[in-house]
Amino acid sequence: MKEMKMMLVDDEERFLSTMKKLLARKEIDVLTATSGPEALEILREHNVHVVILDVKMPGMDGIATLKQIKRQYPMVEVIMLTGHATAESAVEGLKSGAADYLMKPTDIDELLQKAREAYEKRQRLEEKIRVLQMRTLSGSPRDIIRESEES
Amino acid sequence: MKKSNVTDETKYYSAMRRLILSAMIGLPLGLLISVLCITYYFFTYSIEASTTSSMSRIVEDHRHMIDTFLRERKADLLFVLRSYTFKDLSNPQKLEQVFARLQEKSNAFVDLGIFNEAGVHVAYHGPYRLAGKIYKHTKWFKEVMKRGYYISDIFLGFRRVPHFIIAIAKEEKGRRWVIRATIDTYLFSNLVEGIRIGKTGEAYLLNAQGAFQTERRSGGHILEKDPETLQFPARGGRIKTFVQKDARGEKYLYATTWLREKDWLLVVRQERSDAFKTLSTATYLVLLVSLVGGVAIISLAFSLTARIVGRMKQADMDKRSLSEQLIRASRLAELGEMAAGFAHEINNPLQIIRSEQTLIETILSDLKDSGQIKGSKDLMELEESMDQIRLQIDRCARITQSILQFGRQSEPSFEEIDLRAWIPQVTAMISKKASVHGIKLGHEISDHIPRINGDPAQLQQVLINLLNNAMDAVLSRHGTEGGEIIVGAAKKDKGRIVIWVKDNGIGISPENLKNVFRPFFTTKPPGKGTGLGLSVCYGIIENMGGTIEVESEKGVGTTFIITLPAEG
Repeated sequence: MKEMKMMLVDDEERFLSTMKKLLARKEIDVLTATSGPEALEILREHNVHVVILDVKMPGMDGIATLKQIKRQYPMVEVIMLTGHATAESAVEGLKSGAADYLMKPTDIDELLQKAREAYEKRQRLEEKIRVLQMRTLSGSPRDIIRESEES
Repeated sequence: MKKSNVTDETKYYSAMRRLILSAMIGLPLGLLISVLCITYYFFTYSIEASTTSSMSRIVEDHRHMIDTFLRERKADLLFVLRSYTFKDLSNPQKLEQVFARLQEKSNAFVDLGIFNEAGVHVAYHGPYRLAGKIYKHTKWFKEVMKRGYYISDIFLGFRRVPHFIIAIAKEEKGRRWVIRATIDTYLFSNLVEGIRIGKTGEAYLLNAQGAFQTERRSGGHILEKDPETLQFPARGGRIKTFVQKDARGEKYLYATTWLREKDWLLVVRQERSDAFKTLSTATYLVLLVSLVGGVAIISLAFSLTARIVGRMKQADMDKRSLSEQLIRASRLAELGEMAAGFAHEINNPLQIIRSEQTLIETILSDLKDSGQIKGSKDLMELEESMDQIRLQIDRCARITQSILQFGRQSEPSFEEIDLRAWIPQVTAMISKKASVHGIKLGHEISDHIPRINGDPAQLQQVLINLLNNAMDAVLSRHGTEGGEIIVGAAKKDKGRIVIWVKDNGIGISPENLKNVFRPFFTTKPPGKGTGLGLSVCYGIIENMGGTIEVESEKGVGTTFIITLPAEG
């Protein structure tokens, strides 16, 4: 299995840097962004598997960012990080395609667990897609080669 | 302050009551009475006028009859006087002839006599032997000689029969002579006494001295003096009507008039009550109607007023409690909103603190593992302090989460709940905890309780919260022996049910009782309670369209009462 690549999106920079340090100690590679547009910018350049996204941010908020991510990068799993204990924001996130949600203040272990679950889900999905593509394209080895080169 | 408010209110309602009462009694009663009075006045007036005028007409008619009778008799005699000379009539045979002719005209004539200038009874025809007697000094002879014409009052005379005489004088060759006839009053009296009006109406004649000239039916013989001294009207044709009491005190309506031919007063009278009989009937009816109407109006006014004032009181009370509820609810909502915003903001720094704390812990354990710091007492204290920080962060997280729950009450999802089954299910969740602490947990659920519509999860939260509070209260008073909690449910009134949780715990002091539903109000030691449990319960029950109340007495126990709308 490939290493999971995560991105944290939150407007609290100190939170991002501390988390980065913590995850580095656990040998997990993590990218950070302080706003929705920045996150989308990073996604364009990097292959990120799981995004942890704060709901409440100035400017483009979490839900809007989530919608953009899902539209442009449907294979990226997003976990919403909410300060609200109520279900409504979480429900809205899940409806818009989030894999899961986390309640602030969240534990790093809990965060990692949910991220891994999402990652595994994504892996399974990619696997299925690959198998399907193999079947449909089995008649043309050139295509398979091209396909594997592309990915 | 409160007391003066209450008396002010009482004054206000009694003033209102007086106002409504006076309007409701005064107006219809005034109208009724004035209508009755006006009707009665005009009715009385017209009855009196018509009775009086009919009596006047009777008097008028009878006077005319009597006058006619007298005038005719007088004319009879005048005719004789003109037709015959003194000499003719002095002859008894001739006189008898004339008398016979007179009697043909009217059998009222009893006898006929002729007198010369000296008052000597020259000739007489009749049942008595009066010829030859001298009348020169009698009153009637003097009068007739003086005035030429005389009608006497009625008298009995020798005959002991009521009669009167008519005498007329004539001048013949320088000498005067007189013709006199006696009139039997039998016929004549019939004319007068025959008048009957109603039960007591009667008529009679009085002479100028007030003596009866005819019999009076209600008592009074001929020639007796009338016991009632009537005011004699002035002479002339005028009819006088008046009301006067008789000797027995009975009121009579009188109509009197003087005859034209003779100084006699014709009196027609009737007992006033008899004459105005319809009037007295009308009076009784009017009184009855006023009495019944008055009683009806007054009783109606009282009962209506009582109902109106009752409704007003109820409406005022409802209004007041509604506005109190609204104020309380909006205050709670504002507070919830604020608290939720606050909690949300706190969660961000909490998140940072938590990650910092985790980082410190991780670095510490890495350092320990790599042997860069050795295990020591200081290190242990540091680790313990770290644990404590983590615990306190957890505590903060719990607080903010319950605040958020309170502030952002989600919409209840309604389901039909059968309390008979549902309440035991909920109490079963804490029955173990209760029995561990030696608390008796009882049920008092009515069999006839209707189903309710509610959110089972939220309602469960409320009930568990109340039960936990009750257990805490019981434990503080009794320890592990003698505690008792009863959960009850019953139908309250139409469309409502009540659920109550009653304990015999320490109770709540009156000053705290006012605040139990206020957010962050708690009597528990720091760290034990957030002070949000009951306010969350309050919000949930309000959301379901119900109310939650508390009754408590310090040292006796507490009862929480939930009222909820029932189904159907």
